[in-house]
Amino acid sequence: MIEAIEASRCPACRAIVAPPASYCPRHPVAMEPVSLPGAGEIVSFTTLHAPPAGFRAPLHIALIELEGGARFVCHGADTRGLRIGSRVAIEAVDSVYYFSHLGAVDRARLFWHRAGRAGDRVSAIARSLAKRVFKGRARASS
Amino acid sequence: MRDVWVAGAAMTRVGRRSERLQDLMAEAAHGALRSAGLDAPDAIVVAAMNPEEFVGDGNFASNAAAHLGFAQAPALRVETATSSGAAAFYAGFALLAAGLRRAVLVVGGEKMTHLATPRVSELIGRSLDPYERSYGATMPALAALVTRALMARGVGARELAQVAVKNHANALRNPYAHFRRAVTPEEVLESRMVADPLRLLHCCPISDGAAAVVLTADRAGVRVAGIGQGSDTLALRHRQILTSFRATQAAAAEAFAMAGFGPERVDVAELHDAFAPFELISLEDLGLVPPGKAGRVTLDGETALDGRLPVNPSGGLKARGHPLAATGLAQIVECVWQLTGRAEGRQTQARVALAQSIGGLATNNWVTLLEAA
Repeated sequence: MIEAIEASRCPACRAIVAPPASYCPRHPVAMEPVSLPGAGEIVSFTTLHAPPAGFRAPLHIALIELEGGARFVCHGADTRGLRIGSRVAIEAVDSVYYFSHLGAVDRARLFWHRAGRAGDRVSAIARSLAKRVFKGRARASS
Repeated sequence: MRDVWVAGAAMTRVGRRSERLQDLMAEAAHGALRSAGLDAPDAIVVAAMNPEEFVGDGNFASNAAAHLGFAQAPALRVETATSSGAAAFYAGFALLAAGLRRAVLVVGGEKMTHLATPRVSELIGRSLDPYERSYGATMPALAALVTRALMARGVGARELAQVAVKNHANALRNPYAHFRRAVTPEEVLESRMVADPLRLLHCCPISDGAAAVVLTADRAGVRVAGIGQGSDTLALRHRQILTSFRATQAAAAEAFAMAGFGPERVDVAELHDAFAPFELISLEDLGLVPPGKAGRVTLDGETALDGRLPVNPSGGLKARGHPLAATGLAQIVECVWQLTGRAEGRQTQARVALAQSIGGLATNNWVTLLEAA
């Protein structure tokens, strides 16, 4: 499933920022809430080898351009094979956002998501399948 | 607007210093007053980025003024993160240009090396956007995002390394510099990775030091030809362009408009190379070299001490060192020395000098143009 990223849009210049902000950085006007799909393109990324206190090395940080134009900073588990322009999905774990590099299956999932209802149906089927497998395992282990 | 002159300039040796911040400031301030032939200023502007955390002192304009022996001179403090020194210079300039004062002492300093590196990084990092910081972003981390984007546009590892090689070579000739040793391109390229693709020798050190100038309404050896300030969003993610800094471009436009001349008149420049790629970005933002040419120009030696446009003859932040609020003023001190023939061992032939200072991650930048009288 694709995460929804809370964001806000400036009514004056239409710029979108994420996470939401009270005022547009470039206009003194209140911003409107919008929601963006958590997928986008890598603008740049780095791996910190001496991260600040509270973080463990290596720390992967990426700047991602979300669909809709907002740029977003998040973590990632790995940067192997990652390039500027790579497509990534964003997921929240304990309200911390992580990117993951999209493989062929992920791309198909995104495509289905975009395709609308047909995609929803497919992902609903996939979810219920996954649940069934999980329940089966839980029963077996109890 | 009245003409403003730099009548005196001085700084401490930059590096790991055992003196208190106030004593470093006194050394620079008293030196600047001596070189101006002035007993006492009629106002003081103090620059310190974070003395509250670094040394535990607040109310710092009064603290510094009293320590300098000018408890009864009106003093104020100016802070714009890592460009605080340049901002203080502007405040002093404005007092004179408006005719409010006739002789102003501007002094900046920082004392950091007594703290552990992670603590210093954290304190400097507080100048960044809180959300980006909550993801572990530090100054080197965001500079690394900028650097990767720059390299994707064709700037090569050799070109980046050459900035550090050149500035270390210059610092070798500067008795005030933090690092007085040469580095080779190979040493830069093989130094420890800090924030991929930035390596240790691409980054400026943590330094202690202070610098000061005396500005006067009376004619002196160097005239302030123009000053400009430029700003941009606090958050890097709120910008669409990573490989140039709007804050530098806006500051340059304002400074050149005030001066009434363009970048072609600049003979020598002190740029804010906290990270080697910033020197390349700044060269283009300031209009000193055409877009996309900074790397090539650097490799060709055009910005070396004996090149067409010497850049960072002092060694820059990279090798002279970066005592935060002292830096913007240390750049101006170097420019004054270059213009008045006092840059012994690294003297260039210059009539117009430019100093550029970056505050935070290019959120509050300054460009100052100085001209020999």
